[in-house]
Amino acid sequence: MITSIAHATIYVLNQDEALDFYKNKLGFEVGDDMKVEGGFRWLTVYPKSKPELQLVLAEPKEGPMFNKEAAHKIRSLIEEGAFGAGVFETADCQKTYEMLVAKGVEFIQPPTKQLYGIEALALDNSGNWFSLVQREK
Amino acid sequence: MAMGSKIKRLNAGWEFIAEHFNTPVSLSDVANHSCMSSYHFLRAFKDTYGETPHELLIRIRIEKAKKMLITENFSVSEICERVGYISLGSFSSLFLKQAGMAPTVYRRKLWSLSSEAYCFPSQAIPACYAYHFLGKLAK
Repeated sequence: MITSIAHATIYVLNQDEALDFYKNKLGFEVGDDMKVEGGFRWLTVYPKSKPELQLVLAEPKEGPMFNKEAAHKIRSLIEEGAFGAGVFETADCQKTYEMLVAKGVEFIQPPTKQLYGIEALALDNSGNWFSLVQREK
Repeated sequence: MAMGSKIKRLNAGWEFIAEHFNTPVSLSDVANHSCMSSYHFLRAFKDTYGETPHELLIRIRIEKAKKMLITENFSVSEICERVGYISLGSFSSLFLKQAGMAPTVYRRKLWSLSSEAYCFPSQAIPACYAYHFLGKLAK
């Protein structure tokens, strides 16, 4: 039986800039920031209350999985906002929204009542969409 | 205390521990920093983050030590001090508990696996990522 998710990937345009966004704007913590053989940077962040779920901030670069053209295409798609980074939960969507707006986070939609709670839609600094959700209790 | 304010205070405590991991950090220091009593801070911290401030401090120290063991040439004793422990025995036993092996064994093992000096081997990250980004499958 699978018990949890340990890692999920967010493709970003620049790891340093993404780290600044997820750490200093969203308030995530750095999990790993390791130089791996082959020049690969293994960079993960996590919400303070969930160290067991690491988000891998990875740049699509030419390598074993992507050829040059594919890496370029993925970068273009990120910039166009074609990818979603997932759903981040909060206890108070309105307050978190206001806090993030003050920090310069770009929102596509302010807190709005949905069937499952209150949700705002934002972009990270690569162009990935993410939802900020306050679940119905 | 309003929910937002409580989280802000707890986060301030969390950050305090992360910033001062290499110094002696007491519960009362962190609670004072968060403007809460030690009793309430401890309870609220555990409820919010799922670990006590002390468990967080140990986790951060051991993670820093793991990184230093691979990317720096300091001795284990130096690393022990640099992550905030006075006793090498305490450090080694906490490291063993968290990493599953002694610090020297951890360093020797990972260094022997890596093809580059002071770099983590591909085996240190999940295989799906190692294959995806490095084209390597662990043997």
